[in-house]
Amino acid sequence: MPPLIEFQNATLGYGRKIVLQDMNFTIHAGDYFGMVGPNGAGKTTLLRAILGILKPLSGKVAIHGVAGAPLRFGYVPQRDTIDDLLPYTVREVVMMGRYRQIGIFHRPQKTDREIVLESLQHVDVADLQNRAFKDLSGGQKQRVLIARALASKPAALILDEPTNGMDFSSKISILELIHRLHEEDRLTVIMVSHFLDDVANYVKRLAIVERNFFQVGELNEVLTEKNLSSVYQMPIMVTPINGAKVILAGERRGN
Amino acid sequence: MEIKEIIATIIAEFPHALYGSVIVGALCAFLGVYIVARRVVFLGAVLTQISVLGLALTFLPFIAVSHTIGSLVVTIIAVIMLSRLLTGKKIPRDAMLGFIFAFAIAARILILQKTPKVEVAEIENLLRGDILFVTPELFYLMLGVFIAAMVVHGLFFKEFAYIAFDAETARTQGFNTGGWETLFYVIAAVVIAVATHIVGDIFVFGFLVIPPLAAMQLVKSVKAIFLVSFLIGALTPVLGLVLAFKFDFPASPTIIAVAAVVLMLTYALRRR
Repeated sequence: MPPLIEFQNATLGYGRKIVLQDMNFTIHAGDYFGMVGPNGAGKTTLLRAILGILKPLSGKVAIHGVAGAPLRFGYVPQRDTIDDLLPYTVREVVMMGRYRQIGIFHRPQKTDREIVLESLQHVDVADLQNRAFKDLSGGQKQRVLIARALASKPAALILDEPTNGMDFSSKISILELIHRLHEEDRLTVIMVSHFLDDVANYVKRLAIVERNFFQVGELNEVLTEKNLSSVYQMPIMVTPINGAKVILAGERRGN
Repeated sequence: MEIKEIIATIIAEFPHALYGSVIVGALCAFLGVYIVARRVVFLGAVLTQISVLGLALTFLPFIAVSHTIGSLVVTIIAVIMLSRLLTGKKIPRDAMLGFIFAFAIAARILILQKTPKVEVAEIENLLRGDILFVTPELFYLMLGVFIAAMVVHGLFFKEFAYIAFDAETARTQGFNTGGWETLFYVIAAVVIAVATHIVGDIFVFGFLVIPPLAAMQLVKSVKAIFLVSFLIGALTPVLGLVLAFKFDFPASPTIIAVAAVVLMLTYALRRR
């Protein structure tokens, strides 16, 4: 698969403050890529660099276009960063994902309205299109934000803590939806989470982000007890149960 | 005097006051929807005080510019500086705005103490905006600002709406969010500076907040909120002026009192 994003000796930070140093890794087209790490470790900084809104202090972050066009991201922010005091409808929120394509001075056309409806149907919330976004549950809002990202027809979907603050069933439902978008639509997915379980059973490649410990590779190579214990500075177990990986804090006892 | 008679008198004697307060009310009410939705109401209060400070500065003997130009220049510079200061993390945003608010009022009082040109009471009247004595020049300037602001907001409604709703995602899509934010606040600064000169700081700040809040109680869609806020902003000054004439009250506080009653009524009637 061709490379989409390449970190070449990239050092990231703000002003004189270095957050992550000398990173070298590549995210390819079709990847299902997870980024985990403790709070404040630099996940958001890394995400901003991937999105192209934070320039590296040194080195290079190369973002490769697809078929001669610049790489288009579908970004799904954390729900609580959106201040929804005004009662935008779900349809209006998803239409915002089209604004870049619609362009300045132009108004949404029939094609844009069709794409919005398709995106809503794709994430199973077409029935909510006339409801106010601010009145939805956390899980419904997340689906709408994913629909908005899909409406821009992205080459890569980037999700920042997509399951934050969700109950168990909503969380699984969102993770299954993201998984389906990757498997069925062959969409490149980059997901940031501080919930290890979220990524352990879904992504294919993983980056563990910590200031003095950055590891990236295939999930099974990186998601090891040794790595996790080192990053979180406590004993951590990775235990298979019914074919799924379960992350537990604590030492192994006996056999 | 009968209501009809009062209206006829206002139209005949103070047309610029009437139409000026209508366009200022409507425009502030429209922009106020964004100000309230972005939760930057205090910024509106600060900008009105800065524009009054700009006006006061023009009374100093060594500053030879018109009151409106002084107010405009100081407010626009302040907005551009604020857009940088408010993104810093060392001082909390509210504290920074509070400091500027207090400084603007204190500086205005000190300037007025040392102004030799005209009597302080006359200056205070100008600084508070005396609606009834709006000059044709000021009215046409305000009309020009009204048309320009509404055209820009009409052309870029979707961009302003998107950036107010979710600037972070807009930025990832290639929108120059900083540029759009600056454009929004520069327009707000121009409106506030000219409007404060015409109707005073209490009117301007009141209409940035009260009509949007009333509209949010009444209607469910975003476009309807903008429209209803605009209409409340346009109609309330007419009723306020009539009542001010009828009961011999000062115009600006009467208009604000009427707007407050409208807000309380809409709150009582709000959608369930």
